[in-house]
Amino acid sequence: MVWGAWICLLSPLVAACAITVGGTHLSRRAAGWLATSSCVVAFAGAVASFVGLLTHTASDRQFISTAWTWISGGRYQSGLSVIVDPLSVFMMLIVAGVGGLIVWYSIGYMDGDDEERRYFAYMALFVFSMLLLVQSGNLILLLAGWGMVGLSSYLLIGYWHQRPTAVAAAKKAFVMNAIGDATMALALFLLIQQGNSLEFGVLGGDFSSTVANLVALGLLGGAVAKSAQIPLHTWLPDAMEGPTPVSALIHAATMVTAGVYLIVRTHAIFEQAPKVADVAAGLGAATLLVAGLIALVQVDIKRVIAYSTMSQIGYMFVGAGIGSYPNAMFHLMTHAFFKALLFMTAGIVIHALTDEQDIRKMGGLRQLAPKTYWAFLVGSLALVGIFPFAGFFSKDSILAAAMAKGGAFGYILWAAGLAGTFLTGLYTFRLLFVVFWGEPSAFVREHFHPLGRDVVAFSLAIPVGILGVLSVVGGWIQFSPWWHPVETWLQTVAEPIVSPASWQEWTSIALSLLLGLTGIGVAWAIYGAHRVAVPRIAWAQRTLEHKFYFDEAYDALFYAPAVFLANFLRRGVEQPLIADSGRDLGDDTRDLGGIVARAQTGLVRTYALAIATGVAVLAIVFVIVK
Amino acid sequence: MTTLLICLPLAAALIVWVLPLNPVSAGSLSLLAALAEVGVWIQLVVRYDFSKGGLQFSEQHTWIKDLGVSYHVGVYGFSVWLIGLTVVVLAAAIAYAFWAGRERTRAYMGLMLFLTGAIVGVFTAQDLLLFYAFFEAMLIPLYILVGVWGGPGRLGATLKFVLYTMAGSLLMLAAIIAYGLSQGTFDLVAINPVSSDWLFLGFVAAFAIKAPLFPLHGWLPDAYRESSPEVAAVLSGVVSKAAAYGFLRIAITKFPGPAHDFRVPILALATVSLIYGSLLAFRAPDMRGVVAYSSLAQMGLITMGVFAVNDLGLDGSVLQMVNHGLVSATLFLIVGMIERRTLTGELGRLGGMARGRPALATVLLTAGVIALAVPLSSAFAGEFLILAGIFQRGWGWAVAGAVAIVLAAMYVLRLISAVLHRDVGPAVSESALDLRPAELGVTVPLLVCLLALSVWPAAITQHSFRGDHGAFDVAEQFK
Amino acid sequence: MIALLGPEIAWYLGVAAFLFATGAFGVLLRRNPLIVLLSLEIMLNGANLALIGFSRNLGDGGGQIFALAVMAVAASEVVVGLGLVVALNRKRITLDVDRLNTLRG
Repeated sequence: MVWGAWICLLSPLVAACAITVGGTHLSRRAAGWLATSSCVVAFAGAVASFVGLLTHTASDRQFISTAWTWISGGRYQSGLSVIVDPLSVFMMLIVAGVGGLIVWYSIGYMDGDDEERRYFAYMALFVFSMLLLVQSGNLILLLAGWGMVGLSSYLLIGYWHQRPTAVAAAKKAFVMNAIGDATMALALFLLIQQGNSLEFGVLGGDFSSTVANLVALGLLGGAVAKSAQIPLHTWLPDAMEGPTPVSALIHAATMVTAGVYLIVRTHAIFEQAPKVADVAAGLGAATLLVAGLIALVQVDIKRVIAYSTMSQIGYMFVGAGIGSYPNAMFHLMTHAFFKALLFMTAGIVIHALTDEQDIRKMGGLRQLAPKTYWAFLVGSLALVGIFPFAGFFSKDSILAAAMAKGGAFGYILWAAGLAGTFLTGLYTFRLLFVVFWGEPSAFVREHFHPLGRDVVAFSLAIPVGILGVLSVVGGWIQFSPWWHPVETWLQTVAEPIVSPASWQEWTSIALSLLLGLTGIGVAWAIYGAHRVAVPRIAWAQRTLEHKFYFDEAYDALFYAPAVFLANFLRRGVEQPLIADSGRDLGDDTRDLGGIVARAQTGLVRTYALAIATGVAVLAIVFVIVK
Repeated sequence: MTTLLICLPLAAALIVWVLPLNPVSAGSLSLLAALAEVGVWIQLVVRYDFSKGGLQFSEQHTWIKDLGVSYHVGVYGFSVWLIGLTVVVLAAAIAYAFWAGRERTRAYMGLMLFLTGAIVGVFTAQDLLLFYAFFEAMLIPLYILVGVWGGPGRLGATLKFVLYTMAGSLLMLAAIIAYGLSQGTFDLVAINPVSSDWLFLGFVAAFAIKAPLFPLHGWLPDAYRESSPEVAAVLSGVVSKAAAYGFLRIAITKFPGPAHDFRVPILALATVSLIYGSLLAFRAPDMRGVVAYSSLAQMGLITMGVFAVNDLGLDGSVLQMVNHGLVSATLFLIVGMIERRTLTGELGRLGGMARGRPALATVLLTAGVIALAVPLSSAFAGEFLILAGIFQRGWGWAVAGAVAIVLAAMYVLRLISAVLHRDVGPAVSESALDLRPAELGVTVPLLVCLLALSVWPAAITQHSFRGDHGAFDVAEQFK
Repeated sequence: MIALLGPEIAWYLGVAAFLFATGAFGVLLRRNPLIVLLSLEIMLNGANLALIGFSRNLGDGGGQIFALAVMAVAASEVVVGLGLVVALNRKRITLDVDRLNTLRG
């Protein structure tokens, strides 16, 4: 079972290295298949681990396998170790499974690109990094995986590196994530100081409330940055500059949900710091509303989905923050299915329209690409949470848990979640109606070209089909009022600290279904049937189009001062004080040398006299001292 | 063994200087000698008993009996790694110089070999006067290498370099003489720790100039810009580590009291170097500027680790010395390779080099991401340990270090995207080739070392100091 | 120890100092290299006298041996010096030491 985990971890790495070293000896197609098959092998490894765990009793399902000591400092040391327990296996299955489908899809999507090999090497590296993140057996390797996914997402977002916007977006994503890495590192320093260890077990130790709060805050900083929650969310929409499968893999299915995984994995410390856990839930609620609002005015098909991702992760943060860990993880899983599906169908649309992403130019695609439309519809319904699609089962239980937490704060979270459901229905179906309904626009008629019946089309279609099925049935494995295998499975790792009563479950289900349908109805009225005009409120629209001015504020608060300070130091300190002082020192020395050089007459007698005088002076001094 | 390590390159230098060889045979002979030196070092690693630790392969011969001066050399666990860094980087530098072809090859190669021997001497000397002698012997070839083979502004750069280092060396010499005479011996192992502030400051000044630390880095930008790339690689990769070694072997070991009293000002200087260097690297207009100022920042970080004076900080700083040595040497060599193709290092005139040059892009990216200490890289392991160590002395230092991690990401990514990405720059012609096999032969081994260290950073951290102490006792280490 | 006969040591030293000073002034002031060489010899002899004087005063033969050594050195020095003078003359360079100032660089 442990070997399964190691195979799962290493096979994508091997593929990445092989593609890099192989270079042009490997055909482009071969590189694609190599990356895909490495993910399949990884998935097989994950399944092996899963089956292995099933053979053990529930209380006995945790195995840590250490290859060797990775890092040490005095008494502190951490091994290169993987953990196999219900939570990590849960994530391994999602990452390797969905990841493999997306890499497969890429073979079709990236067909004909100049540098396909590089793309697949990066993809394999990303899958490796993500698996390292979820499999790491201690906190420092978790941080290592954390940074590695940041790196590979940088590489993938900036894949089309001749586009300045892509390069800028990649840098922004990396730097934002580096901020998260830094706060996490600080939390780990504190843990080392306290317990000299970074095993997961140390989190359950007995800490003073200050220490627990600080550690939890540091970890939360990392989670917020990686999962694009307010206030470190601004990189995610920009990251849509990358190829669409990248958005599906990184910005929907896997990486951005790492923050939720982190909170669940380290829940012991969050339970000791309930205020910080509340902050996590509060940030999640704020993000789900803000992102939902911004998504209403976006005109780029991928950005709408990106904001919806932020919003959905907001739900997961609410779930994780209030201690309803299995529900957060369950929503993470269903979200991976339907969001990857949405991105990939959007990718097919973009592909069919020769790389156009502006929805204002689209329309009427339902007639031209009916299968794509159905797939997109399934994804949208799952996203809004309509029965019996996947999102319905996972989202509602988070809302019920918020209700069960109780108190004013719990009800605020609950209300925010419900409002978010309405927004989700509205923006999702706005997108659907604008892109697929109505008559085909002039642009579409001119540029649309249907897929053929070749390898490219099959690589695009089959993964989408599989994910479509999963988006329908994926949620059925748990329906919290009646059966909860996910909760049972995760019980030993992350036991929920809230348990909603039956009436809370049903109330949430009814209200959220109602609000979701209302959202869809409003979207239909405005964009589908054009019964109602789009309301125009100038200031609101401006605020939303500027995404609540976060980018502008960060520029003014951080980037501009850093540039100003650096320029000031360069012109005001380095140049005049350090560089010139050195030069002045040199010039002065040379001048002084010129004066002293006059003593050098070149006449032997002068030198002889100097020597004689010197000896005489020394002799006299010697005599006097004696 | 130790003497062999010191004398092999010196003897090879003599041979190259004396024999009337043509450039090709002089170059190949030097490269052979450098590789043989690496082989000797591998022997050293194999034979050094890490479980025992402490001073091994020690050799002692009386030199000046009345003053208690002797030729005393030997290696500690952590010096093994610094010697390894030296021989590997110097071998790469010699290989690159051979490939690039320098005028007056024999003189050049001889100086490089002499430099190798002198630096190994610095890392092995166990006598203060001998240490001083090697320290100076290390600087002389550098003066010549920068001053004769450097760029257009080489004379000014050399003059600054000489003035700064001479000032430091003289202070150190004065401190050494006063210290040795007062204790009746110059032997580094036998000499007793003292608590004289002035002697401590003398040593610290010399090392702070050599490292360098803010505000004593005036020589750094010019020297790194004007020297040939392989000399810059050695300067920033290896020679600066001699200073960090001095902090570790002399300043905190022999002056525990003053090192404790002056911890805050020194840490403050180190922190300022870290932040200041990072910010300047972020705005530097050329490739060398970025690498040079990042070197300043990294030396600040390493100094922080040493002056944390606990096991985490020291283990981390030894690891980081090796990491930074390898990575900055690699970066300088790559910078040299790019400059050969474009005739400029200005970031504004470069760009778009990734397209059609996969080897160059891969090598620069790999070196870059290790330089910015992406987690899982060995540089991350080093920085993590250093900051974890300094955290225990005060959380503020570690927060400043964490800020510097973010800044490092900003300046390295700026360098990478300015060279590789976006539109093709005016200085980049279509005919500029990808890296040649010989160039890959120089850079890839360095990167392989770094990747191997990333897989197993504990190779260094577990094998630098004597094991498990709990409360780290520096004096215990050097018995 | 042999009883000392003759003048006190001070007299010897006085004469030696006088000789040395004469030679030194000659070296410093005269410009003809031949005279300079000659003055140099006088200085050496002054030093020799001092050595021998002390040797006699202390009853130690070492000083006399040193004096012999100095004579031998002086002889070889004269050979080199005269050779240089002849070489200068051959090249038709004025025999004036003030012209030989290339040491200044």
